[in-house]
Amino acid sequence: MKVLDRRYEMMPRDELEQLQLERLQALLARLKRNVRRYRELLGDTRIESLADIARLPCTTPENLAEAFPYGMFALPLREVVRLHPALGFRGTPLVTGYTRTDLAQWGRLVARQLVASGVTANDVVQVCLGSGVYRGASGYVMGAETVEASVIAEEPFHIDSQLAMLQSYRPTMLVTTPDNARELMKTLQHRRIDPPSLHLRTVLLSRPVSRETRQALEAGLLVAVRCNCGVDEILDSGFCVECDAGHFHVNEDQFLVEVQDGELGVTTLLREAVPLLRYRTRIAATLRREKCPCGRTGAILEPGPRLDGRLRVRESPLYECQIAEVLAQTRAAGHRFHVEVAERHVIIAIEMSSALFSDVMWMLTDLQNEIQNEFKTRLGLDTDIRLITPRDAG
Amino acid sequence: MLLQVKNLRCGYGSLEVVHGISLHVCPGEIVGLLGGNGAGKTTLLKALVGLLRPWRGEILVNGRPVHNQPAWRCVSNAVALVPEGRQIFADMTVRENLLIGGYHNAYRRMDVEMVLERFPRLAERIHQLGGTLSGGEQQMLALGRALMARPKMLLLDEPSMGLAPMMAKEVFAEIVKLKDLGVTVFLVEQNAAATLAIADRAYVMETGEIILEGEAAELMHNAAVKRAYLGKGYKEIWE
Repeated sequence: MKVLDRRYEMMPRDELEQLQLERLQALLARLKRNVRRYRELLGDTRIESLADIARLPCTTPENLAEAFPYGMFALPLREVVRLHPALGFRGTPLVTGYTRTDLAQWGRLVARQLVASGVTANDVVQVCLGSGVYRGASGYVMGAETVEASVIAEEPFHIDSQLAMLQSYRPTMLVTTPDNARELMKTLQHRRIDPPSLHLRTVLLSRPVSRETRQALEAGLLVAVRCNCGVDEILDSGFCVECDAGHFHVNEDQFLVEVQDGELGVTTLLREAVPLLRYRTRIAATLRREKCPCGRTGAILEPGPRLDGRLRVRESPLYECQIAEVLAQTRAAGHRFHVEVAERHVIIAIEMSSALFSDVMWMLTDLQNEIQNEFKTRLGLDTDIRLITPRDAG
Repeated sequence: MLLQVKNLRCGYGSLEVVHGISLHVCPGEIVGLLGGNGAGKTTLLKALVGLLRPWRGEILVNGRPVHNQPAWRCVSNAVALVPEGRQIFADMTVRENLLIGGYHNAYRRMDVEMVLERFPRLAERIHQLGGTLSGGEQQMLALGRALMARPKMLLLDEPSMGLAPMMAKEVFAEIVKLKDLGVTVFLVEQNAAATLAIADRAYVMETGEIILEGEAAELMHNAAVKRAYLGKGYKEIWE
């Protein structure tokens, strides 16, 4: 059993609760001083136990969108050393800031996951996440550096160059997305490359996958597969540690988690630049606080589906309202549509109306092209536009 | 946890100075409490040793509640305070000062030797009056006097106050050595850099509230620490 921060990861429950109470009280003091929104909402509210958190106001993704760009920042920008733009609620822009301490803590949290996955200073870690769309990538780089492992932070663009790097640099851990891991597995099988020749020992996936997918990847790549579980807006990599028993332990020394009406709520206890109080993640989840064979005492998180209709296309978030907004710019404005996510593109089936219908084939093809181009231009999204009758939609 | 404080509120008259703070100290740790003037650090310490009755909240030493106990019981809880400004007995000799620190300690004469071994400077001045010692020596004497009670935990209130930088460095070096004796230290200071250099963890206090907690190494580079320590406002915050 490999544990990096034994003190915090295996802290007895009563001590952990004392620590959380202290950090929550300090967080409230900082929020009241530094963030106008929270100051107005909190007034003179004080808490005396963790149960009192139920009296505190929640922060919703809508609040983050309203406060864009710097409304939720608790520190002046001169103390913020990194800004990560992201896609927030319904495709609105979102920005998260980090101070130097935030980054150090982030690296430490990711290092916990890496150490739990068996990474040591003797390992080489290759990160293939496409940092352009996946800001968690920098967390893995910092985490690997914290463990003092050698990290390949260069992003190979194509599966061929990725494979070449795996063969040349011989990384022992690959941090990647489930889609990329599947593609790598298929490529190996297609080219009849023996997986052990790559020297990979572990593959850390950027998000949880089903048991079947995990087993298929383990069998196909002959590696141990671990998963990350996080919340995009708060901390994707480093929110949880997956232990040998396959449980996602929340790093509760830094995050206070609760489940309200089946939805995961998170309070960032130590975040300096953008601290969040009772953030409603729009993720269905259950929490268990029970003894785990690994010895970690952090709550066990079982993530469920998204509650806000958010889709994932090539690891990037996509909301149905974004699709409706793009369609509104075309002749298909106001028409009902159905979305299906394929491996590399999105299938959008639009219900035709008499106004839209034409019995001239090229006109329909023209309409399809127009919509496809609109999606490519506005969202950079590859789409397969299908024009269907309401009866087909059934 | 050796010391556990939950939601402590206290003050003077009708003025609340400490507004519901929580903290803890584990055995063997050096924990710092930083803050500017008027943050409420000394008031908190007074409440911890029973010199000030808490208005609300709990203080537990080794899991036992002590917030309703009188100050004199503090020593039997193996907690000793080294007060701000040393407060040694100026008209008594170094030896007498030490002996008075261990008045309930049956082995106090033996322990005087232990303290003198630890602080050789005091051995050289053993028959000198406390008031004639330099500031640094007085601080050593105050530390030695507290050790005479064989405490498990020492509460130090601004030990570097009024000392020359060299002397303060020496005092901090002595505090680190207390770890060898198995003594846990709760160090209340304004000297943020020196405290964070020797502490394992630290709390930052501002106007009666704890605003930060963390590993000393992390807090060392924290801008908020500098702000709290320097007592600067938040006028420049981007909102």
